[in-house]
Amino acid sequence: MAVLAETRRVTKRFGTFTAVDAADLAVASGEVVGLLGSNGAGKTTLIRLLLGLLRPSGGDALLFGVLPSMSTRRRVGYVPQTLGLYDDMTVLENWSFTAAAFGSARPVLPESIRDSKDELVGSLPLGLQRRVAFAVAFSHEPELLVLDEPTSGVGPLSRARLWQDIRESTEHGAGVLVTTHNMEEAEQCDRLVVMVDGRVAADGAVADVIGSRTVVQVTCDDRRKAFAALEEEGLIVQVQSDALRVPGSPGQVEEILARHNLAATVATVPANLEEAFVSVVTKGTHR
Amino acid sequence: MTWGLELASVRFGTRTALDRVTLVAAPSTVSVVVGGDEAGKSTLLRALVGLVGLSGGSSRRPPKSEIGYVPATVGLYVDLTVEENLAFSGGAYGVTGQEFAHRSAELLERIGLADARDRLGGQLSGGMQRKLAVAMALLHRPGLLVLDEPTTGVDPVSRSELWRLISAAAAAGTAVVATTTYVSEAHRASTVTLLDQGRSIATGAPAEIVDAVPGKLGVVRSAVQPRGLSWRWGTTWRLWSPSSVLPEGAEPVQPEFEDAVVIASLAYERGV
Amino acid sequence: MWAMIVKEFRQLKRDRRTLAMLVALPVLLLVVFGYAARFEVSNVAVDVVGPQAEQVAGLLRAPFQVVDVDPAAGKSLVVSRLRDGDAAVGLVTGQRPFLVLMDGTQLFAAQAAEGALARMTATGKAGGSPAPAIAVRILFNPKLKTSWIMIPGLTGLILVFIGTLITSLGIVRERQSGTIEQLAVMPFRPWDVIFGKIVPYLLLASLDLLVIVVVGKVLFGVPFVGNVATFALGALLFLLVTLGMGVLISTVSQNQGQAIQLAIMFVVPQVLLSGLIFPISSMAAGVRWIAYVLPLSWYIDIGRGVMLKATPIKALVEPLGVLAGMAVVVLGLAMLRFRRDLAPSVRGGGAITADPAAVPS
Repeated sequence: MAVLAETRRVTKRFGTFTAVDAADLAVASGEVVGLLGSNGAGKTTLIRLLLGLLRPSGGDALLFGVLPSMSTRRRVGYVPQTLGLYDDMTVLENWSFTAAAFGSARPVLPESIRDSKDELVGSLPLGLQRRVAFAVAFSHEPELLVLDEPTSGVGPLSRARLWQDIRESTEHGAGVLVTTHNMEEAEQCDRLVVMVDGRVAADGAVADVIGSRTVVQVTCDDRRKAFAALEEEGLIVQVQSDALRVPGSPGQVEEILARHNLAATVATVPANLEEAFVSVVTKGTHR
Repeated sequence: MTWGLELASVRFGTRTALDRVTLVAAPSTVSVVVGGDEAGKSTLLRALVGLVGLSGGSSRRPPKSEIGYVPATVGLYVDLTVEENLAFSGGAYGVTGQEFAHRSAELLERIGLADARDRLGGQLSGGMQRKLAVAMALLHRPGLLVLDEPTTGVDPVSRSELWRLISAAAAAGTAVVATTTYVSEAHRASTVTLLDQGRSIATGAPAEIVDAVPGKLGVVRSAVQPRGLSWRWGTTWRLWSPSSVLPEGAEPVQPEFEDAVVIASLAYERGV
Repeated sequence: MWAMIVKEFRQLKRDRRTLAMLVALPVLLLVVFGYAARFEVSNVAVDVVGPQAEQVAGLLRAPFQVVDVDPAAGKSLVVSRLRDGDAAVGLVTGQRPFLVLMDGTQLFAAQAAEGALARMTATGKAGGSPAPAIAVRILFNPKLKTSWIMIPGLTGLILVFIGTLITSLGIVRERQSGTIEQLAVMPFRPWDVIFGKIVPYLLLASLDLLVIVVVGKVLFGVPFVGNVATFALGALLFLLVTLGMGVLISTVSQNQGQAIQLAIMFVVPQVLLSGLIFPISSMAAGVRWIAYVLPLSWYIDIGRGVMLKATPIKALVEPLGVLAGMAVVVLGLAMLRFRRDLAPSVRGGGAITADPAAVPS
């Protein structure tokens, strides 16, 4: 597996504000890396450093083993959150433009978007727009794909289809870097990198990020009341089919519920990714 | 006094955006509408608050002074400070003087912006902006709160804080209607409505929707997409059969709510 | 690079407003510089009074055009007619020397008249007859200063700028940020929103107006001899027209770029064809009607009249009336359209014009 892009303790400062602080990130061919973090954690800045759109204040950012340049840019496909498509041109026109810009011979429009080739991009539904954006970015067969929140605002079926497209591209040897807020999506990645305040706070496979974290599972007859009581105490409550999950220790939770006169059974269970993420992000940051 | 839409339809020229949808918004409850893009969620909310006229059916809503609405585009002024944004909302709804000072302080505390009164709206992060917009809509203690995709593109921590705000409003008596593309958020609702291309394909409490799932659901652990109606689920595949028989290689599994949503769409497509 | 060119063309062919501008502006400029941009006045309106009025009137040739001959009247009638703008030059006969009074605010007409008089006396001399004694007096703008006639017009330009361009941008900005939807749901009546948006600009424009008049007086010595109330009324009516135009433009624009394009198409013709720079009377007859359709032309009449000539309100009934009429029409249309945006009809599904692709449905 060749490393396509990496940063080595890269730092970026804007005046007195440090947006990215000694971050290490690597994307190899054939893998999907998920970049997670709150808004303002530095994800976009890190991506721009990787793509050569920003110059580091310290450390290195390497693209295909060298400093980012025009020639390496050709080997990257980038889909920003705003899609990067021209609303007032058709799908086919957008496709031709990108193909001409990257100097690739006009490859054929992929089947998934062929039906709407003459429609103005601006008139397509969001899910389809995103698939077009992805297809256009992939049209010149880049070795590295960088996707910024590729399925934000898109329904579950469209999301699944888009991820199928992404997986297919890795099967052709490409490496993919994805930023997302959606935990279901993060679970589809081979590796995760979590950023907090410009620093990499966690790095590894999904199981590694979760580690040995646990949460308390609460089964209660009056689920609604329990939910309200726990939220009121400032705990982040997750709802599963017929149980609630909260961070903390069983003792703490029992005590809270007792205070509200609620009878419940509590048990310690392994945390899921969303809970682990919240724990990573809020650890040390005061709210 | 409950509000909502009854068999409401909205047509834009030849396009039917909403087709005989019924939605009930009762006080102290949270009603969530789930659907992909183009499902008609925004149109549904717009019809509910009166931004869009109905081509059929009826709607029931309180007077404007008792509605709080946050559109999908957030709807706050980026060139006004946090304080000024709230003041504008206060002025519009008649919440002034002592009452405004008290209520705005309370809300700012809740959303964690008490120390950021003088920050410009444009300088806030996405999650913070949404929280402020919701606070602006709650300033006057509306009877009906309508939120269009309040959590789309917001990180998980801010998302749960937003829901805390929303749940508190419901607990205080407000009828809340919210749309989302995050299926897991529907758990917080007392009623969930599944929207697909303008039609309501399932509605009820989350547990009811799961129970009403037809056919049989299975898990397939393979690297290749199995044949049949399947979709990726983490590192495995989910496979659904409209009949009660699963093909070989699929282990039967109890559907979660997320599965129920996908199955409902597939079943609807097939006329099951 | 070729790809960029092709792309720009493709986008352009769908951008109707820019295309319109590309076509309309050259046509406009052609019309202006072909037919309207002239400083030579070929048509000077003359009043002749005094005992020898009819005689003298018979002697006058082009560019003079005799509009009134009144042997019974004297200097005072001429002065008031010049003040009211009914004539550009007046000849008072029956006294030695002849008195030729000119309206200094009609700069180019006065210059044309001076030139014509000089020619006449020269030919007379050449023909052997003695030159009659003529006293020329230029009223209202004795030194024929350009700044004196430009500055009142400038006040109008500022009002157009603020009224139309800036107002439309202010409203479109709301549409772009999506906050107009919320305004529609809040307990505002459409009037609250429209006037709430217009009033700050109204106040600012009035302030600007004041500043320019004062600066004009202090720096350039431009007088203000007329009735302040009349001037204020004219300014107010004109402002209402331009503000209404601003609101109207905002109702047909989805973003600030489009608003600016429309505003430009509204402002530029007024700068060129309203008599601000080129006198209306020197425009070719076929295009002169354009000046009468532009609100700025009527305002300039009022502005120059009141500031420089102390024209009384009863002589300004026509421009004031026209502006009032325009204000009613434009504001009325603007209200109707804006109202439709804010409070769609219950039947028929009229939707808010937010960009549907940007908002997920």
